[in-house]
Amino acid sequence: MRARLSLYWFTVPALLVIGLFFIHPILLTWNMSLTNFAGIGEAKDVGWRNYERIFTRDRYLQEIWLTLWYTVIVVSALTVTGLFFAAMLHRLPLIRNFSRAALYTPAMMSFVVVGYIWQFLYSPLNGGINVALRDLGLGAWEQNWLGDPALALYSVAFTQIWMFTGFTCAIFLAGFAGIPEEIGEAGRLEGATSWQRFRYLELPLLGPSITVSVMLTTIGTLKTFELPFILTKGGPDGATRLLSIDIIDNLFGQYKFGFASALSIVMLVIVLVVAFLQNKVLRDRENA
Amino acid sequence: MMSLSDTATPRTATSPDWDLFRRRGKSILVHCIVLGLVAIMLLPLVYMVMMSFKTSTEIAQDPLGLPDSLYWGNYMAALSSMGYVRSVLNSMGITISVIVVVVFSGAMAAYPLARLQNRISRVIVMVMALGLATPNFVTITPIYVIFRDLGLLDSYLGIVLAFAALKLPLAVFFYTSFIAAIPIELEEAARLDNCNNWQIFWHVIRPLLAPVTATLSLFVMIMVWNDFIYPLLLLTDKDKLTVMIAVYKFVGNTGIDPTKLFPAAVLGSLPLLLMFAVFQRKIMAGATAGAVK
Repeated sequence: MRARLSLYWFTVPALLVIGLFFIHPILLTWNMSLTNFAGIGEAKDVGWRNYERIFTRDRYLQEIWLTLWYTVIVVSALTVTGLFFAAMLHRLPLIRNFSRAALYTPAMMSFVVVGYIWQFLYSPLNGGINVALRDLGLGAWEQNWLGDPALALYSVAFTQIWMFTGFTCAIFLAGFAGIPEEIGEAGRLEGATSWQRFRYLELPLLGPSITVSVMLTTIGTLKTFELPFILTKGGPDGATRLLSIDIIDNLFGQYKFGFASALSIVMLVIVLVVAFLQNKVLRDRENA
Repeated sequence: MMSLSDTATPRTATSPDWDLFRRRGKSILVHCIVLGLVAIMLLPLVYMVMMSFKTSTEIAQDPLGLPDSLYWGNYMAALSSMGYVRSVLNSMGITISVIVVVVFSGAMAAYPLARLQNRISRVIVMVMALGLATPNFVTITPIYVIFRDLGLLDSYLGIVLAFAALKLPLAVFFYTSFIAAIPIELEEAARLDNCNNWQIFWHVIRPLLAPVTATLSLFVMIMVWNDFIYPLLLLTDKDKLTVMIAVYKFVGNTGIDPTKLFPAAVLGSLPLLLMFAVFQRKIMAGATAGAVK
C-alpha cells in the first residue's frame, strides 16, 4: 500500500503550479475581498462591507441577473443551432466533414479578432449588416445594433452564438455518430419523416451530448468577458454591463482591488453553483 | 420545420422513375440549402478578408463591395508597425514553453489519479475541476499582485507559469482518462522486472501518450494564442507582446480604423487558421472527446 501511495509524488509538480498560481490566488482574492485594497499602499480591513454593498445595491444585483440572462440566451441558442446543424449534417454525409470544420472555424479565432470584426459589422453607418439590409431593400430594419440599449445585449450574444455554433454542432455530431444505425433504419422503414425520426428516435438518445454541450457552453459563457469588453465596454447605459465587465472595470479602470475581489468571489460562487445544479439536474434527467 | 427526407418518400408516387427523380431533386436541394447556411455562417470571415484589401476610399464609397484590386498597402502598413513577426515569435515561444510544462506535469499527475481511486485522488480531481470552472478574470488580480511582489511581471517565466496553471486541469483530465484506458497488465509485467514507479511511468506509460499529447498541445496552443487578458496585464514590454496583444494595441479600442483593423485581424488569425486547416481532424476529434467519454 505504501508503494502505491508513493505514486502521489507524481502529482507534486502539477500541484505546485496549481497551488502557487491558482489556489493561492483564490485565497488571496478572498482575503482582498475583505479589504479596501487599492493596488498599492496599505489595505484596510473593511469586513463584509464590500459584500454588503454588492447585495444591497440594485446595480450589482442587476449585473448578476444580466450575466445569468445573457448565459441563458447564449446557451439555449447554441443548443438549438448546434442541434439543427448536427441533425442536418448527420443526414448529409457528403458534406458533413467539410461543413463541420467550416462551422468550427470561428471558434478557432480569438475573441479580440471576432469582437473587432463584429464591431465593424454592427457599426451604425457603413457597417456590414446595415449596408446589407439596405442593399436587400430592408433599409427599414437598419439598427444601431450596439448603440441601442434594447438591442446591445442581444447583438453581443448573437456574436457569441455565431462563434460557438460549430462547437456545439461538433459535440452533437459525435452524439449522433453514437446512435446505432438500426434505430434510424427502423424509423425509416416505419415511414417516419425526418423530423419524426429526429424528435422521437434521435433526440431522446442525445441526452448525454446535450448534458455535455449545455455544461460546457454554460461555463464557457459565464467565463467570457472579452466580447462585451471589445464590443460595448458594458454600454450603452449599462445594457451589457455583465458582472465580469464590472470586475475588469473596478480593477483596471479604478484600481479598486478589494471591491473587485469581492465581485470575483461572488462570480466564482455563481459559476460553481450553476455548474453544480446543472450537473445534478441534467444527470438526473438523463437517468430518469 | 422542413422535413428533410433524403430517403423516406411518400408511398403514393406514381412510378419508380418519378419517385427516384423526386428523391434526387429533393436531396440536391437540401444539400444546397445546408451548404448555403454554412456559407452564411462564414460570411463574416469573407467580409474580414475582403475588407483587408480595400483602400479607405473604397470602404467609404462601397462598404460591402468586392475590392477593385488586391490592395496590399494595408498589410504593408500593419506589418511595418504592429511588430507582427516579433509577436508571432513571442506567442510561439510562450506556447511551446506552456506545452512543455503542462504536458510533463499533467501526464505525471494523471498517472496516480488514473490508477488509484481513493479520497486523495478525488480531492485532487475536485481541485482540477474547480480550476476548469474558474473564470480567469477571477484570479487575475491576485496573480498580478503576486507577480509584482515576486518580480515576475513582464517576464516570460511569469506568463508561462500563469498559463500553465490555467491549462493544467485540462491536461490532467485528458491524460487521466487516457491512462485509465491503458491495460494495467503492461505495468504489472514491468513491476515483476523490478521497475520502480518512475521507470514504469517513463518506459511503459509515457511512450503510449503521444496521440493525446498531440491533441492537448493543439488545444493549449489555441488557448494561449488567443488569450487576451493574461498577456495584456502581465506583459507590458513592447518586445514581449503576444500576437493578440499586438493586434489589440495596433487597432486600439476607440475610433477604429478599418484599414488597420482588418489586416491585423487576418494576420492575427492566420497562423491558427493554417494550423486548423492542417490538423482539422485531430482538433475536431479532441473537441468532442469529452462528449464521447
